[in-house]
Amino acid sequence: MAAQISRRKLAVVLAAPALVAQTPTASQPQDPGQELAAAREQNRQNAEQLAKFPLPMATEPATHFRA
Amino acid sequence: MASKPIPDDIFFASITEINQKLKAKEFSAVELAKAFSDRLETLGPHYNALSLSLRQPAHREAKDVDDDMKRERFRGPLQGIPYGAKDLLAYAKHPTTWGARPYAGQVFDYTATVLKKLNKHGSLLLGKLAMVELAGGPSYRYASASLTGPGLNPWDPTRWSGGSSSGSAIAVAAGLVTFALGSETSGSILTPSAFCGITGLRPTYGLVSRHGAMALSWTLDKIGPLCRSAEDCGLVLEAIAGGDGDDPGSAGKSFYYAPAYARDLKDLAVGYAPADFEDGVDPAARADYAKALETLRSLGVSLKETKLPEFPYGPIIGTIISSEAAAIFEQFIQSGQVDQLADQKQIAGLKAGLEISAKDYLKAMRIRSLIQEGLREVFDLTDVLVAPTRSTPAPKITQPLDRPLSDRPAPANPGFSALIPAGNLAGLPALSLPCGFANGMPMAIQLVGRPFSENELLTIGKAFQERTDWHKRRPPLNAASA
Repeated sequence: MAAQISRRKLAVVLAAPALVAQTPTASQPQDPGQELAAAREQNRQNAEQLAKFPLPMATEPATHFRA
Repeated sequence: MASKPIPDDIFFASITEINQKLKAKEFSAVELAKAFSDRLETLGPHYNALSLSLRQPAHREAKDVDDDMKRERFRGPLQGIPYGAKDLLAYAKHPTTWGARPYAGQVFDYTATVLKKLNKHGSLLLGKLAMVELAGGPSYRYASASLTGPGLNPWDPTRWSGGSSSGSAIAVAAGLVTFALGSETSGSILTPSAFCGITGLRPTYGLVSRHGAMALSWTLDKIGPLCRSAEDCGLVLEAIAGGDGDDPGSAGKSFYYAPAYARDLKDLAVGYAPADFEDGVDPAARADYAKALETLRSLGVSLKETKLPEFPYGPIIGTIISSEAAAIFEQFIQSGQVDQLADQKQIAGLKAGLEISAKDYLKAMRIRSLIQEGLREVFDLTDVLVAPTRSTPAPKITQPLDRPLSDRPAPANPGFSALIPAGNLAGLPALSLPCGFANGMPMAIQLVGRPFSENELLTIGKAFQERTDWHKRRPPLNAASA
């Protein structure tokens, strides 16, 4: 079949999962409680940044997206 | 009947080239679909790029295309062209997983508008392509945040493809489909396009219908093409753009790809921040970036130093995506199904998103109004902005994505480093073009324009690609056989 992949090509591709397996996994805290606390802290920091931005009353939310 | 051989070059050919060969009967649509399906089913899983093969329905459509072509019923350049779609687009009576384990068995009884439009043009949907779960949600830490595993980059499978349109970019880069559809809320077309060395277009918000697509953020989501060239992006965009009463965000506008009628390049001012092309990018790519700027200049455009208005883009887009995603997935989160996702950071982000106050969401949306105004002012003085799409090449697949991807200190001048969130917040179109390599991995520039200025971006992109060949480079797997 013309569209078949050569053994040489396949060998390169099939090596990919093996390469992945050899790569050490990065260590990260995955504790759900810690993760949730970190996400809340991120939201708090975002809110803090937004609060630094004074806005006049007339500035309405961006609800229209036109040219 | 025995199939005719499909030459390897066809897997990397342009839409126009393939369509011409179909018309010239060098091969049939059925032979083409079979060859691409074989390739997609064989190579796709090894890059974690394939979510679902649609071989059978595609081959039925291919027979119809052959019948039409025999009768000289030509339906345009996309007729008979094999493509793939990010698995957030509904295809009736087949699984649509949104890249997430809890949705692995999800089946809709309707088909996304963009897929129906491409079907009318005679394009052949060969498969649903892998993606980061829930298109990335508010955020995620690892490339492995997907039902199908981390998207492996065809240029180096130990590196990430980028996301969230990971399978779409991989499939185009590896020649598994001729083009693909992806989606972008903030970077999900541009980033994988840059990392995989292909051309990706993020259309103006509202230009392409999202009916039948998973919603992550109603006010930010866009559907767009990932292709090998700017010209192919133009052809696909013309087919998928247009008003749709089923999409409340639809702008009701059509798009006609007409580079011949675009403004003369000599009349265009292209804004840039010199720092982006110096300290802002990987040192191994600086020479290529300098050449890219020089190539743009040689097209006749005038390059002028420009600044992006100063706003807290990250906190604004983070607040908007988190709030809208949590509202969209409220039941999913509160039912506990969310805990079946692969990425702990995304699980926590969705849960915490439910707690964001209306005040903070509205504050972000109000500042967003000022961002849109600020960018309108930038475009009073310039026509297009250019910057590196990403400042680093694709990271290793195990590298945490919520940490800096480079050891280099952040440049003193941020330049346009926030152009991806800024452009998305303002609903602006963007085109990512391959422009070189850093240690063997693709690098790219992005062009960003006014709303609905896709023809301008594509005209510059097409001219750039007539003078460069980065978009024609193939990953080592295929280069070895070329």
